[in-house]
Amino acid sequence: MDATNDSRLAGETVRLSRAAFVVGLVALGGAVAYGTAHPDQFFHSYLLAFMFWNGLTVGSLAVLMLQYLTGGAWGISIRRELEAATRTLPLTAVAFLPIAFGMHSLYEWTHADAVAHDEVLLKKAGYLNAPFFLFRAALAFAIWIAIAWALNRWSREQDSSADHRAVDRKLQLLSGGGLVAYALTTTWTAVDWVMSLEPHWFSTMYGVIYMAGQGLGALALATLAVVRLSKTRPVSEFLGGRHMHDLGKMMFAFTMFWAYVTFSQYLIVWSGNLPEEISWYLARFRGGWGWVGLAVLMLQFVLPFLLLLSRRANRDPRTLTLAAALVVLMRFIDLSWMILPAFSQGHFRIHPTDLTVPLALGGIWAGLYLRNLAGRPLLPVHDPGFEEALAHGRD
Amino acid sequence: MADAATPTPPAEKPATTTGILAPGYSFTTLTDKIASIALSRRTPFVWFIGAGVGFLLTMMLLTALTWLLFRGIGIWGVNQPVGWGFEIVNFVWWIGIGHAGTLISAILLLLRQPWRNSINRFAEAMTIFAVACAGIYPAFHTGRPWLDYWLIPYPNSMGMWPNFRSPLIWDVFAVSTYATVSLLFWYVGMIPDLATLRDRAKKLWAKIIYGMLAMGWRGSARHWSRYETASLLLAGLATPLVVSVHTVVSFDFAAGIVPGWHATIFPPYFVAGAIYAGFAMVMTLAIPLRKLYGLEDLITMKHLDNMAKILLATGLIVGYGYVVEAFMSYYSGNTYERFMIWNRLHGPYKHAYWALLFCNLVMPQALWFRKVRRSVPWLFVIAMVVNVGMWLERYVIVVVSLSRDFLPSSWGLYKATVFDWATFIGTIGLFLALMFLFIRLLPMISIFEMRAILPEAKVREEEAEA
Repeated sequence: MDATNDSRLAGETVRLSRAAFVVGLVALGGAVAYGTAHPDQFFHSYLLAFMFWNGLTVGSLAVLMLQYLTGGAWGISIRRELEAATRTLPLTAVAFLPIAFGMHSLYEWTHADAVAHDEVLLKKAGYLNAPFFLFRAALAFAIWIAIAWALNRWSREQDSSADHRAVDRKLQLLSGGGLVAYALTTTWTAVDWVMSLEPHWFSTMYGVIYMAGQGLGALALATLAVVRLSKTRPVSEFLGGRHMHDLGKMMFAFTMFWAYVTFSQYLIVWSGNLPEEISWYLARFRGGWGWVGLAVLMLQFVLPFLLLLSRRANRDPRTLTLAAALVVLMRFIDLSWMILPAFSQGHFRIHPTDLTVPLALGGIWAGLYLRNLAGRPLLPVHDPGFEEALAHGRD
Repeated sequence: MADAATPTPPAEKPATTTGILAPGYSFTTLTDKIASIALSRRTPFVWFIGAGVGFLLTMMLLTALTWLLFRGIGIWGVNQPVGWGFEIVNFVWWIGIGHAGTLISAILLLLRQPWRNSINRFAEAMTIFAVACAGIYPAFHTGRPWLDYWLIPYPNSMGMWPNFRSPLIWDVFAVSTYATVSLLFWYVGMIPDLATLRDRAKKLWAKIIYGMLAMGWRGSARHWSRYETASLLLAGLATPLVVSVHTVVSFDFAAGIVPGWHATIFPPYFVAGAIYAGFAMVMTLAIPLRKLYGLEDLITMKHLDNMAKILLATGLIVGYGYVVEAFMSYYSGNTYERFMIWNRLHGPYKHAYWALLFCNLVMPQALWFRKVRRSVPWLFVIAMVVNVGMWLERYVIVVVSLSRDFLPSSWGLYKATVFDWATFIGTIGLFLALMFLFIRLLPMISIFEMRAILPEAKVREEEAEA
């Protein structure tokens, strides 16, 4: 089959990408102008924006490794979308810098006087201190970028060479080790960047909840992209009903997994009802935040669950798009529910910057993502499983 | 399958058969090979030894339980502060082992993994026997097993009602549902094969017994169509059970506030641990069985390799649990949480914890290497080590956490008595005895599902459609 990208597609993608950059830069200008006057508020919103877009990026890396490891047609159908997202990692690494500068506005444990009067924070100071915090962030980004670089490079080698058995093996091997590294980095970054906003609180499930959420978001974004791209060549010649069904089932599984780990954490904290643990939920149930939590439950789990339950809905591009878009949106709401109550204990307070700053970072991210997507062939035709995946969709 | 526009490839061996069945089998020879174990082949001498040992140990179990009924659970080592000892450790260990059978039979069926076809039958049998062994412990731990029906919520004149907020009562439902669905799944899945045995049996009593068990199966198209629907439905029902049972078991601990029990990661960590332990047990059984009955053609290196990969993956998840638990105990800044890990590493039970880390975290890393995954002796050793490691894990969680919780004045050590050991080893005997009876009397590999992966089956399928 002809795997070259449709020229109209390239033009459209570049136009879209430019538009996204413009939106992002304009919003960024506004946000920075506001931020110089109100740095605390700016950094609060910025953390949310960073966690959302970086989560999609790193989640894509994880799903990319998962599909190399397990094989199967579903992975081949979204590989290039996932790869495009992982190549935004240099951007999200740079996007971390404002957090490094805004640490003082975000994290109570950076205030020496607060730590000095707090027995628990004193005990944690060996871990929660600025130099170690920055080192861990740098290490996490170094690991992610190294993995993403290698996976993208080898995938390119696979595209261009006839004999790529050695490359296939390397891709699988790195994916195995890489997923172990992903689990550890995601856990410590989730603890560092978000959990430590409320430095007395702790939960062993926390890292798993982030992994589930990032995987879910990345899968939904890739599904959105591939269904949209299937309107033109070459994806139109590839993507079949069964591929969409597989993607729908994967999303279904991830949304159940997310609900499972989220609910388990809640049930255990609720039944223990210890003051140092339950406080996290009280801040997220009171003053109106409870409604947001309920919306997350209904729209990130119940509705996608029902939408993706039937075989016909999974194979209908419009229903699948709707479910995927809903999931991506709810990832943002879910992260808001996890992050923002930390800044306004017990009060429901959102600020316009909670929307504009994510939009600013998102515009730039989306612009880069689209450019990455258009820059390479959209189908990995030299993958050893490609022919089988192509036939799989035709049934 | 293939439409008119694309020419069908010549009927070569389909890709899915590669490695999961040795070449050269036909419908007849394959059926012969499996059915003859139950019907005509001479019972190997090793079988009598194994079944004999299992039988004797079962007698020991019955003796220990009889003495228990006579004297009460004071004959066990449990007391204050360690009120849960070997019995709960063994309950969780056995229940966990069952999970691999359900995963293989239900989830791998839904994921259409044909390599499961040669291992699902005895893995399911393993599930049922493991659940039977597990069920003995809580039933007798109540002290008065003849009153166990009080656990069931029913209107009664005593005004008694179980506390629905207690995970222990969820356990009653989770485990009994699990046992029921597993048994049903196993039996329904066996019906076509029981009919094969009925048709091939030479002896009258064998014809009658297999005939009754086959429930009038004639292999008509309608039978097969209903059968397919039933097995898919049962697979759908069993799939959530793979997760729910051990999740509820983890709540038994996590809902309490004892350090070492009250960890939010417990549910997925327990489920992964259950599958981990279960696959270790499947390998422990599969490796001697294929040797003993010459089944290397049906349970191939590819099967062992796949199972080893699942063992490695679930072992890593369990390892993640250990790492996060240790890290959070430090990060919590909480005196009791920090002491919990210190006590595991340096306290009176430190040997159990270090051994557990070696068995579950260090040893399975050898499975990263293809050479190890393709070496039968190595796989057997690693599987045995994991069996021990997962038992130690439950021992550390149950006993070490209870022995030293908040108040040093109420600390105390636990020591298993001879009756604890007799009951534990006795259930291993019961498990062995049931397993040996099963492989002697029933088809331990699914005959009709194995026939479905023969190249011959694909050719007929295409002829039927043409």
